[in-house]
Amino acid sequence: MTDQTSPARTPQRLDEVITGGIGTSPLRPDGTLKVRGEFAYSSDLWADGMLWGATLRSPHPYARILSVDTGPALAHPGVSAVLTHQDVPGENIYGLKTADTPALAEDVVRYKGEPVALVAADHPETARRALEKIVVAYEVLEPVTDPERAAHDDTLPALHPGGNVVRYQPIVQGDPDAVADVVVSDVYTLGMQDQAFLGPESGLAIPDEDGGVDLFLATQWLHVDQRQTARALGLPLEKVRFTMSGVGGAFGGREDLSMQIHCCMLALHTGRPVKMVYGREESFYGHVHRHPAKMYYEHGATKDGKLVYIKARMYFDGGAYASKTPVVVSNATSLGTGPYEVPNVRIEGWGLYTNNPPCGAMRGLGAVQPAYAYESQMDKLAKALDMDPVLLRQINAVSEGSTLHTGQVLDSPAPVAELLERLKRLPMPLENRTAPADVRDLPGGISNTTHGEGVVRGVGYSVIIKNVSYAEGADDYSTARVRLEVIGGEPVAMVHTAAAEVGQGLVTVQQQIARTELAVERVNIHPNDTNVGDAGSSSASRQTYVTGGAVKNACEAVRDVLFAKAARRFGERPADLSLVGGKVVSSTTGVIADIADVLGDDVIEETREYHHLRTYELDPVTGQSPRVHVQHAYSAHRAVVDVDTELGLVKVVRLDCAQDVGKAVNPDAVVAQIQGGSTQGLGLAVMEEIQVEGGHIRNPSFTDYLIPTIMDTPPMTIDVIERADPNSPYGVRGVGEPPTISATPAIVNAIRNATGLDLTHTPVGPEHICGPAFARA
Amino acid sequence: MRAFEYAAARTPADAFARTTPRTAYLAGGTTLVDLMKLGVVEPDAVIDINGLGLRGIRLDRDGLRVGALERMSDVAEHPVVAAEFPVVAQALQASASPQIRNMASIGGNLLQRTRCGYFRDVATACNKRQPGSGCPAQTGANRGHAVFGTSASCVATHASDLAVALVALDARVELAGPAGRREVPLADFYRLPGDSPQVENDLRPGELVTAVAVPRLAFARRSTYLKVRDRQSYEFALVSVAAALDVRNGTVRDVRLAVGGVGTRPWRLPLAEQALRGKRLTEATARQAVEAGTADARPLAFNAFKPALLRRTAVRTLLALGG
Ligand SMILES: Cc1cc2nc3c(=O)[nH]c(=O)nc-3n(C[C@H](O)[C@H](O)[C@H](O)COP(=O)(O)OP(=O)(O)OC[C@H]3O[C@@H](n4cnc5c(N)ncnc54)[C@H](O)[C@@H]3O)c2cc1C
Ligand code: SF4
Repeated sequence: MTDQTSPARTPQRLDEVITGGIGTSPLRPDGTLKVRGEFAYSSDLWADGMLWGATLRSPHPYARILSVDTGPALAHPGVSAVLTHQDVPGENIYGLKTADTPALAEDVVRYKGEPVALVAADHPETARRALEKIVVAYEVLEPVTDPERAAHDDTLPALHPGGNVVRYQPIVQGDPDAVADVVVSDVYTLGMQDQAFLGPESGLAIPDEDGGVDLFLATQWLHVDQRQTARALGLPLEKVRFTMSGVGGAFGGREDLSMQIHCCMLALHTGRPVKMVYGREESFYGHVHRHPAKMYYEHGATKDGKLVYIKARMYFDGGAYASKTPVVVSNATSLGTGPYEVPNVRIEGWGLYTNNPPCGAMRGLGAVQPAYAYESQMDKLAKALDMDPVLLRQINAVSEGSTLHTGQVLDSPAPVAELLERLKRLPMPLENRTAPADVRDLPGGISNTTHGEGVVRGVGYSVIIKNVSYAEGADDYSTARVRLEVIGGEPVAMVHTAAAEVGQGLVTVQQQIARTELAVERVNIHPNDTNVGDAGSSSASRQTYVTGGAVKNACEAVRDVLFAKAARRFGERPADLSLVGGKVVSSTTGVIADIADVLGDDVIEETREYHHLRTYELDPVTGQSPRVHVQHAYSAHRAVVDVDTELGLVKVVRLDCAQDVGKAVNPDAVVAQIQGGSTQGLGLAVMEEIQVEGGHIRNPSFTDYLIPTIMDTPPMTIDVIERADPNSPYGVRGVGEPPTISATPAIVNAIRNATGLDLTHTPVGPEHICGPAFARA
Repeated sequence: MRAFEYAAARTPADAFARTTPRTAYLAGGTTLVDLMKLGVVEPDAVIDINGLGLRGIRLDRDGLRVGALERMSDVAEHPVVAAEFPVVAQALQASASPQIRNMASIGGNLLQRTRCGYFRDVATACNKRQPGSGCPAQTGANRGHAVFGTSASCVATHASDLAVALVALDARVELAGPAGRREVPLADFYRLPGDSPQVENDLRPGELVTAVAVPRLAFARRSTYLKVRDRQSYEFALVSVAAALDVRNGTVRDVRLAVGGVGTRPWRLPLAEQALRGKRLTEATARQAVEAGTADARPLAFNAFKPALLRRTAVRTLLALGG
């Protein structure tokens, strides 16, 4: 635990001397602290005299609040404040895309776990006990839990004023009534997945004498949190200052507000610092999850395997509040054909309100669900055509210049067929047929279930498409402030952005860019806060692209100032100057001075933004758009599985990935992202599902919600290729999300290959593998 | 978590003296503390029994005796246990994670509570937690629930793997309480839920489990534990099978068979054992015996796959031992 007198800003000593520019893999500046267990996360925040906040949550998925009596809780010894919606100083409404979420419920609760009241007390236990003393009278209502019904059944209660459809988006291309030689169809469902970050939601709010508040927290996007919180607090932005603390993973789950408004309300109300930390169970109720989906797909192809049409209808359960549901619908529909050329398309997507837990951002947003469906369909089609599934994908693959069903033309490399080809050429793992086999290498592992009996090997492929960065006309940008000065005789750069380091290695990448652009060795990263411009979210695989671009721009601006100084002093033309190894070099006269000499006592500081190319909304009727996404990314997986077909157990033997990353700014980090993403996709393929029953989560713990451990993670060969995108800084292409998306269908396809089963639900459990056989028996 | 007192007992008599209906013994705490955090169990005082000795792993003429406070990992790795009673070692190795096995005791393992999600969610009804409040698992999320020994009051499984292995081997639990010592066959120690699922075992107020005794059984050397679970690294059983087999020249002289993940208590299959004795062990005889022994399975809406999965696992187990 941090010592009591330490400042609220979590101290991190990120100043080890590490060198390395772009294209190398220097150490992470926070790596040593993290490996040693010394890195301070937001749950370690501490301030003298602080109070502890706690949240009273609705026990019902849907109910009317008849009354709230805070009296008994307030009378509880040690309690400083008990707040309800009546105490929300500003507007009691927020939301990432649609402002539809109350900070504290007013007359109705729409999901189990919805915040109803807050307590601040001298100890977390006091706070929790006081929660039990708040008396809330509910009139329990029948919850809406079936999203497909919510889309079409007008007799259901409308959960929000505009009805239960958050967004409906059709995309129509070509002839919607086209017919084909070979047709395959099925209905696919995908369970609710949790981001399962390890650091629970937490923060520390400190009231200021100016009537404002400072919040130290773990988030993915400081400025959007700040804007929503300021609105609820009724304060101007400059009085609501947010500073990033150590983030223990995010994966989308920190894009919506959790404790931000609450913690600030309690601090402002009590005039004392207030800390809030969720427990694991509360965290399951306190953040959004991946949208479960039901997807009807039909593919038609010629006898030769050329796709003729795709028809799809998809339903996404957004739960009680909109969060990112509108984006899930646009991503799912605009990427719903997969990376294939299809002349005739009719895709419809619905994002719905229900009384299930709210769903929002998670790695692979809106692309994970259709990818599972369309890649299942491609294998099914290959089977119907009696064709090699890789070849089928290759002959239909998009490439640079292809037109998607939205009308958008792919304006940068799209090596989809090549990714598959490279995977296909990787050596196959040997089959474990030696007797006695090591049980650890077999399905069931040390559970001893097989020594080879019943085991069948399967191989599955998949390739997917994902958009990078924000889409549909959002002005997607980031801001960087770069400062160059001499410290201890050495030129030192300081990079200041609001871009969240959530574990992905953005701090390292920013240092690499500054080192490359400014030719200095020492680059410090300023703590992220709202004293610098917006960076957007650490999501949509966008930060190296967008914040990387901003850091590059700011460095170039600093360099221009430096060159102007050098040119004046040495009588050179700025255009002839460059920076090499800490020195200013002229193309005509060679080395002219050390950077430190040119700088002297001066400080150069420049702030720049990076905006990516403009995008355009999907037409609400036709779904057409000249550029709905600024960039697309592609990854392919080959999964090799051993399936115990009698007992329904799966061992993923290998999970190989080929991905185009445009430019590997940090090759080790790229591989790590692909390993992590692949593992998260494996989780969705064979174990991860939040069990929701009538609006209640039945497995809100890491004992009952299963995620892969390192023991469940197979060896991976990762083939990174670099085909630069001419429109992005350094040619980078987003890396983080694609492998999460392609891993799941590759594994399910491999299980299908081993078993011959249809497998229309993911994750796949023993009952899906032996269930049908059981029915036959 | 509610406030509670903590006391470390120095002797069994000290422990008994501190006992009231509102106290709980603390061994490794991996079940107890977890349930206290959830508000499922709310003792006024926790009595730490880790200082009571209750240790030792000993094999003698009568069999194996393991002190109740021995840690799961120590028992699992004990060479005598692994050699003489592999089913016990394997059941423990396949239980929980290494970290938990290092903390958790044998006694605590046998007394662990069910993983039924309703039991653990204080916002819902549950007869086991709150007698008379109802059993939502009857029609609700019951994929993990039992198919044997269920009642209209409760359908929760007993989650211990170790107990399944021990029941197969006719193990006995040694108990000590204010009124003295006694010994009970483990199979009888556990109760069926009937209409009082809150009473899970025969433990009397204040009584301690002091040890587990496994009678000598020569053919236990040929025993094994198979566990089907949703995650390979660590997870409770969907179904599991503990078996020991005495087979000579292809003919079954004797057999022990118990199953887990399917019963409201560790479930022995006496009819299957009986059907196998004296038979040649083939896939057909194994299947017939297992089918006879599991004919009374009563699946629920979401665990209909369990009886078939169990039968396949049991046949697999027998053939693996017999081959
Ligand atoms: C993540 C996780 C995974 C798990 N997976 C498995 C698994 O796969 N298989 C499996 O079998 N188990 C599993 N478990 C359960 C685990 O094995 C038990 O929690 C553990 O064995 C309990 O032992 P303990 O010493 O910690 O008991 P405690 O938590 O200390 O006690 C448990 C109960 O027994 C009582 N008690 C303990 N010792 C005595 C005694 N000597 N006399 C009288 N009463 C006593 C306590 O009062 C309490 O009611 C898992 C647990 C977790 C948390
Ligand atoms: S099955 Fe048993 S433990 Fe589960 S809810 Fe019913 S009574 Fe409670």
